[in-house]
Amino acid sequence: MDTLAKLQILSGAARYDASCASSGSRREGAPPGGTGNTSQSGICHSWSDDGRCISLLKLLLSNDCRYDCAYCVNRVSNQVPRASFTARDVVDLTLEFYRRNYIEGLFLSSAVMQSPDQTMERMVRVAETLRIEERFGGYIHMKIIPGCSSELVRRAGLYADRISVNIELPSQASLQRLAPQKEKAAILEPMALIGREIQESLVERKKIRSAPRFAPAGQSTQMIIGASPETDFQILRLSQGLYKKMNLKRVYYSAYVPVSDDNRLPVLAAPPLLREHRLYQADWLLRFYGFSAEEILSDDAPHLDESFDPKTAWALRHPEFFPVEINRADYATLLRVPGIGVTSAKRIVAARRFSLITPEGMKKIGVVMKRAKYFITCSGRPFEKTDRQPALIRQQLLLGEGSDLMSPRQLVLPGLYV
Amino acid sequence: MKRYICDGTSDGLLSAIASILEEEPKPEEVTLSAREDTLFEEGLFIATDTVRAEDLFSRLKERAPDAAHTIYFLMLAEKEGMENSLLHYIEQAFMHGDKVNGYLTHPAVRDIVTVSRKAARELHRMKGLLRFEKLRDGAYLAQMEPDHNIIQPLAYHFSRRLRAQHWFLYDRKRRTAASWNQGSLRFGTIEQFTAPALSDDEKKIQAMWQAFFKTIAIPDRKNPRLQKSNMPMKYWKYLTEKQGE
Repeated sequence: MDTLAKLQILSGAARYDASCASSGSRREGAPPGGTGNTSQSGICHSWSDDGRCISLLKLLLSNDCRYDCAYCVNRVSNQVPRASFTARDVVDLTLEFYRRNYIEGLFLSSAVMQSPDQTMERMVRVAETLRIEERFGGYIHMKIIPGCSSELVRRAGLYADRISVNIELPSQASLQRLAPQKEKAAILEPMALIGREIQESLVERKKIRSAPRFAPAGQSTQMIIGASPETDFQILRLSQGLYKKMNLKRVYYSAYVPVSDDNRLPVLAAPPLLREHRLYQADWLLRFYGFSAEEILSDDAPHLDESFDPKTAWALRHPEFFPVEINRADYATLLRVPGIGVTSAKRIVAARRFSLITPEGMKKIGVVMKRAKYFITCSGRPFEKTDRQPALIRQQLLLGEGSDLMSPRQLVLPGLYV
Repeated sequence: MKRYICDGTSDGLLSAIASILEEEPKPEEVTLSAREDTLFEEGLFIATDTVRAEDLFSRLKERAPDAAHTIYFLMLAEKEGMENSLLHYIEQAFMHGDKVNGYLTHPAVRDIVTVSRKAARELHRMKGLLRFEKLRDGAYLAQMEPDHNIIQPLAYHFSRRLRAQHWFLYDRKRRTAASWNQGSLRFGTIEQFTAPALSDDEKKIQAMWQAFFKTIAIPDRKNPRLQKSNMPMKYWKYLTEKQGE
């Protein structure tokens, strides 16, 4: 099989992995005699037909899997063409693409071939060749194959900028049902090990600057949404734990795309894109807005609202918190106003050092008012003549531009909007 | 209100600003614009003085490095009619230091920061969207037509990244070029540009990238609107993956 044919099979098999970030690592210049550096903020190189950013060359080393996970396109019982790259194939593709500025680096995952160790060993060899032989300084993201030895995890972390272990399903029960060959312990153990190694390397590097870096861009994970019955509350609490206890950089949510008619799986007309979108919004609230999972959802209301983003939904449940006075409220309080994001909150704090902000001024500094106007005052005056009763706000937001019932919902209910 | 005019160059502009800030008791009450060479032009002309311009900029760099950075990107934007806003922006920058960029309710600050931010955003975008092609002699060439004159910082970015290869950047709109070869970065202009022949295996590599670009998208999630809003069509002309679609 030629490289082009392998590339088509093995990038097609890798596309359900959501992570494509190239951020969090910074190498100023290329290694001596070599090629490539990384940028702290990451760089997107293209956007594919589904609108997602392409930053890394995303590949499986092989899709020849001996596992039979129900939700996965590569499961052994699925009749699809199989292929495997050699280390050289992947190294050459990465370098040729990098030299033409198509990519920021390599994202390498794999199906489980003979065993977790044998597969991981082959993946590590690719990274080793790139870093040592080819002196490649670009970004490398490596998946850890659950069940591989901790020695291989350590070696992967020395070459990769980011490493990740996929949780796949948000509970042990679902894992048992849909991925009987995967164990929760085999997933969580390497995550904990990676967390410890990252910490140790940071401490070590404070003492000795030349100490080796271990996964400088940290670790991430991914969960499939909609293939199993967990609630949004369960999922969000799991993410919260991962951020707090394991220090993860990112949790990715991947709307389940029906790739199998296995009767253990739900029948979906289309991937639950709106749900995925709401989970990402809630995830942002956890990481950047000072919210806890318990503020966003509860056992009584365990699912995210479809009509409103989670912050607006929270605001509508908490009329006592509002209105927020733009000229006095602290940063953390500003962040709780629907429609005011990190950028706007920072701009408000910076601008009011010079003078009181007027309603006109809010527009000037670029704050989008369509949702915020219901929840704020400027120097004691309401922003516009708006009614502050939650029920009325809710109605106005739904009727006006404030609601973002958008295309993903239309995909869930095909035919309804035609 | 007192009116001043200067010539359209950045040195002319900066030296006029230096002179106004030094000699005017109330700089916030004067206006500055570029000379248009009409018959009846009102205003006092301030002659260009390169030394004075450089002195102003280096003092600003010390007092407010972020503001100096903002002005660098403003200059790359090549936007006309910014003279008056720049005068009052620099006046504010000397007053407030680096905090000035947060003073977005001030019209001049907002003008300058907005235009400068656009140029900076396009630079970041082009770091990703620029595409090199391998030529027959082994060098790499990337062509572009950016809205802003970003070739200098862009070349600097690639001089650290693609250090081991010989490459050229060419801005077709401005006919300016940058070249990197064995550790030296050069800038110049090319009046007569003819696209050189590609290396023999170039089409093969390009076909692989095009194949990857197609297969990496999830068919069930197709979303051309999102693709276009993230990657405006004006950039597609030189994108390898968008050729022959």
